[in-house]
Amino acid sequence: MSDLKSQIIAQLNLQDVKPEDIGDDQPLFVEGLGLDSIDALELIVLLQQQYQIKLSNSDEGPNVFRTVRTMAEYIKAHQAQNS
Amino acid sequence: MYIRATGNISPQKTFGHSALAEAPVAYTGNRLACIEPDYKEFIDPKLIRRMSRIIRMGVAAAMECLKEADIKMPDAITTGTAYGCLEDTNLFLGRMVEFNEELLTPTAFIQSTHNTIGAQIGLMLQCNNYNNAYVHRAFSFENALLDAVMLLREKEAAHVLVGAIDEIVNPSFTILNRFGIYKPGDVSNLELYKANTKGTIAGEGASFFALTAEPSGNDYAKLEGLHTFYKPAGLAATEKQISGFLQRHAVSMQDIDLVITGRNGDAAHDEPYAQLTQSLFGQTQQLNFKHLCGEYPTASAFGFWLAARILKTGNIPELLQASAAKPVKRVLLYNSYKGSHHSLSLLAAC
Repeated sequence: MSDLKSQIIAQLNLQDVKPEDIGDDQPLFVEGLGLDSIDALELIVLLQQQYQIKLSNSDEGPNVFRTVRTMAEYIKAHQAQNS
Repeated sequence: MYIRATGNISPQKTFGHSALAEAPVAYTGNRLACIEPDYKEFIDPKLIRRMSRIIRMGVAAAMECLKEADIKMPDAITTGTAYGCLEDTNLFLGRMVEFNEELLTPTAFIQSTHNTIGAQIGLMLQCNNYNNAYVHRAFSFENALLDAVMLLREKEAAHVLVGAIDEIVNPSFTILNRFGIYKPGDVSNLELYKANTKGTIAGEGASFFALTAEPSGNDYAKLEGLHTFYKPAGLAATEKQISGFLQRHAVSMQDIDLVITGRNGDAAHDEPYAQLTQSLFGQTQQLNFKHLCGEYPTASAFGFWLAARILKTGNIPELLQASAAKPVKRVLLYNSYKGSHHSLSLLAAC
């Protein structure tokens, strides 16, 4: 999860944020890390670029991108499915 | 029209109130880069992360200007830029190629447009008033200024924030360098006019001005006239344009204390300035400014800022390493970009 946090920080250019500053279960959007809709698009691109995962169903977005843990679980599930 | 306040980020220490108190910053090479402030004082860190360097420079210069003018909400915002936001454009286009036109990140695309800086300022101020960006090569600043003047004259606005922004990034510098626009090898900016060789030095900057219809009693200067002309046939045509401009404003060269010219050290394009020194400008003190900011399409905004600063005090700042023969009450700014785009601004002390 630490790698994923680093990737999120790099993709979103989060200033003065270190991987350890982001809690595994901290909400990414609004009240948590304060991300917005443009960041959501950046996270979709991150999944595609880093993990070759294309989010096919947009309804999945809110659950996938809720926290770093939900993102990591989605990535793991997708990788297991494809292996 | 009155210049109430300014904000300027340039390759010199021009940002902040102590600006111009020091000797000019010397550069060796053919590219000058802006001296940037700590942006956290001016921009919310949450917003900074999405802003490229030129956006930060533009927004910070604008905020500094509005702060000095004590204007919370300008009636209009007009900006001029020839290149737009090159860093984001380069990033976006690079990724288009790298990822075969797929997986494009939205931020670089959104921030790459020429109106980004004007829009960012509007968003930060929650200002829904008139907001227009001019992308007219080396007339971009002048046309943004002209729009502001018209808005003020027609009483559509009482105060307008006007700015000019252009940056130089590695790919654009490489491309322009290939065209032979910049001097080869190392050249000192402080020796720019002595080289007498082809090419100039690259520059960049973000200059903002708060223009108002009414005087405040503490303005930098009064803008008396503005004129642009394109590709004059020769010296006679240029002289005719300048004389006509002065005549329209009921001013003669004898009424002008200082001419600030856009001479840039390029032997291929500086000849008209030299000729004008022998004729129309012969009896008037002249100063150049592009050794301080470099050459770029909206560099005239730096000259405009310099003229305003000089008129506020009546003295030539130390930065220019010259002294005024008499108190400066009226300045003519004459800029020519690559011999094609010519602009004239007439400014007077308040």
